[in-house]
Amino acid sequence: MTKNIIEVKNLTKKYKENIAVDHLSFEVKEGEILGLLGPNGCGKSTTINCLLSLLTINEGEIKIFDKKMTPNAYDIKQKIGVVFQDVALFDELTVIENIDYFCGLYIKEKEKRKKCIEDACKLVGLEDYKKYYPKQLSGGLLRRLNIACGIAHKPSLIFFDEPTVAVDPQSRNHILDGIKRLREEGATIIYTTHYMEEVELLCDRIIIMDQGKIIASGTMDEVKALAHNHEKISVQIMNLEEETKEKLLKKIQKLQGVIAASFENHTLLITAENGTEILETLMDRLKDFNISYQHILMMPPTLNDVFLELTGKELRD
Amino acid sequence: MTVFKAYLKVLDKCKVPIIIYTVCLIFFGAFSLESNREQMNFTKVKPDIYIINHDESGTLTKNLISYLEENTNIKTLNEKNITIEDALFYRDISYVVEIPKGFTEDFLKNRQPKLEVKSVGDYEASLTEELLERYMNTANIYLTYFNEEELLEKISHTLKEEVEVEMTSTLDSDSLSEIATFYNFANYALLGGCIYVICLILSSFQKDLVKKRTIISSLPLKQYNRSLFIANSLFAIVLWLVYVLLSIVMLGNSIFEIHGVFFILNSFLFTLVCLTLSFLLSSLIDNKEAINGVVNVIALGSSFLCGSFVPMSVLPKSVLQIARVLPSYWYIHTNEYLKTLEVVNFSSCKQILFNSSVLVLFALLFIFLNHEVTKRKQRIK
Repeated sequence: MTKNIIEVKNLTKKYKENIAVDHLSFEVKEGEILGLLGPNGCGKSTTINCLLSLLTINEGEIKIFDKKMTPNAYDIKQKIGVVFQDVALFDELTVIENIDYFCGLYIKEKEKRKKCIEDACKLVGLEDYKKYYPKQLSGGLLRRLNIACGIAHKPSLIFFDEPTVAVDPQSRNHILDGIKRLREEGATIIYTTHYMEEVELLCDRIIIMDQGKIIASGTMDEVKALAHNHEKISVQIMNLEEETKEKLLKKIQKLQGVIAASFENHTLLITAENGTEILETLMDRLKDFNISYQHILMMPPTLNDVFLELTGKELRD
Repeated sequence: MTVFKAYLKVLDKCKVPIIIYTVCLIFFGAFSLESNREQMNFTKVKPDIYIINHDESGTLTKNLISYLEENTNIKTLNEKNITIEDALFYRDISYVVEIPKGFTEDFLKNRQPKLEVKSVGDYEASLTEELLERYMNTANIYLTYFNEEELLEKISHTLKEEVEVEMTSTLDSDSLSEIATFYNFANYALLGGCIYVICLILSSFQKDLVKKRTIISSLPLKQYNRSLFIANSLFAIVLWLVYVLLSIVMLGNSIFEIHGVFFILNSFLFTLVCLTLSFLLSSLIDNKEAINGVVNVIALGSSFLCGSFVPMSVLPKSVLQIARVLPSYWYIHTNEYLKTLEVVNFSSCKQILFNSSVLVLFALLFIFLNHEVTKRKQRIK
C-alpha cells in the first residue's frame, strides 16, 4: 500500500474574522501528482503556506513524511522543494551562481552540489545559459531558472505554484516534461494551476477548492462523475430558415437522453446524458430535414463545467 | 558558508559603485584634513594702511609713523583719480590714520588730541587699531614721568620689547587637532559607507520571495542571520581598518600615542553603531533606489548637525542640543574632548566612558528596533 507523504487534518487558518482555510483534510500519496485547483482567493496559496510552516495555523494538524510539520522541522524541510509563481532570484548572480546558492541552503558537500546543479540545468534546459545574468534571460528562461533553483537539491516532495503562468509554449513544454521526469524519479508533487489541460496531462488526483473548503476531490473521472456532468454536442449549420430551426429543435428535444437543445447563431447546441447514444439518431433527424452541416463536435465535461455546476461560477473567476 | 559566500559574490558584483563611493569619501577626508592644516598655521601679517599727516614736523608724529612703518605697510595712493574711499572699498588699504595739525604739541601739553581714522572693519583693520592703541596707551603712561626727549626714547624702547612665552602644556595640540579633524570626518565616511553598502547588499537578500525560499529551506534561520551578521560585520571592520590605515599614512606616528589609540577605539565603537543602524535601515528600506536618499539624509544630516564638517565650537547651542539624540554627536564629542585632554587617567576619562556608553546604548537600541521591525513585518505578511 502506498504511504501518505502529506496528511492534513482539520486545517483552519483565519485572518481576523476571515476564514481563509476552513477545516481542510486531505492526504497526498507517495509518488503522485496532486493538482490543487480553485479560483483566485479560494485558499490554495494559504494552504501551501500553512503546509510549509510559513504561516501559523489556528486549528488542525499537518504531517509531512509522517512527522509533525513545524518551522523548525529542518529534517522535513531538507526533503521539500518549492517553486513559486513569481521569480525569486538574485539579480547580481549568474544562472549557475543562483542555483548554487539555493542548492547550497540544503547541500553542503561541494561535489554533490555540483552534480545536482548540472542535473537541474539539464532538467530545465538551461545548459547554454549558465553564465547569463537573470536580466539577460527571457521570461520563459527565467521561469525555468526559478524551477531549477527550487528543485536542484533533489527534493522528494515538490510544491509547484502555477509555474507556467505567462510562459511561452517552448518553455512550457520544457517545464511540463521536467515535472513528468521528476515524478518518474519518484518525487511527490503538489501542483497548482489554472490551466485545465495541464491538470489533465499531469495530475493523478485533483482537489478543487472554493472559499477555503474542498468541494471535490479524486481522480479526474471521479471528480467529473461526482458532478453528474453531461456531454455537449455542437453542430454547425449554415443558412437555415427560422421555421426549419424551430421544427428541428422540437424533434431533438423529444429524443430520449436529451436534456437541452438550442440554437446560438449558426450552431445547434445539445446537452445530453450520453452523447454517443444519441449521435446516430441526431444525424438521422438532420437527414430527414435535408440539412447539411459543416461539422459536429462532441465535448466531454471539463473541470470548469464541474466547478460551474458545483459553485455556480467559473474556475478563473 | 553558502550565505556568507553569496554575500561576498553580491559585494563583488556591486564593487564599482562601492569603490567609487569609498574613493570619493577618502578623497574628501584627505581634502578636509589638508584644508584644516592650512587653517592651523599662524603667520604674522602687516596690514596695508594709509596715513594723512598734518603734523609733519612733530617729533611724536615722526616716532608714531616710524613705529607704524615697522609693523604695517604704509601705502601711497599714486593714481590721481583714486580716492581714499575707493582704496578702502577695493581693499587696497584697510585702515586710514589722519594725524591732525599740532598733534605733538597738543599731546605734550596733555590736551588729549584725537587721531581721525577710517576702517574697513576687517581683521587687518583691527590689528592696526590694536597697534595704535598700544602706542597711545604707552605714550600716555610715560607722559607724566618724562620730558619730550626721554618720552620718545622710552616709547620706542618699550614697544620693541618682546616677551618670551613658554607653553607649559605638553599637549601637541596641532597633531591632536589634525587627528580630531580626520576622525570627525570619518563620522560621514563610516556612516555613509556602512549604510550604503550594507543596505545595497541586504536588499538583495531581503527580497520577499528570496527570503521566503530561505525560510522554507533546511538552513536554520539563526544560522542564516548569523552568516549575514558576520559578513556585514566583516565589511564594516574592513571599512574601519581602511580609515585607520589612512589615518596612519596621513597623520604619521602621532596616531600611535595614547590619544591616537583613544581616537581609534572611539571610531571602532562608532563603526559598531553604524553597523547596527545599517541593519535597522535595511529592514525598513524596500527598494534600492531609496538607499542613496537615505544615505544623504542620515549620514550628511548628522554630519552637519553634529560638527563633522565644521567644529562643534562654532555650532549654535540649539543645534547641539538637537544633535544629542544622534550617535554622531557622542562620537564627535569624544573626539573634541580628546583633543584637549591633558592627562589620561580614570578621572579624566570619565567623559569618554560616558560617551562610549551612550554609543553602546545606541547600538543596543538599533538592534532592538531592528528585531521589532522584522517581527512586525513578518506579522503583516
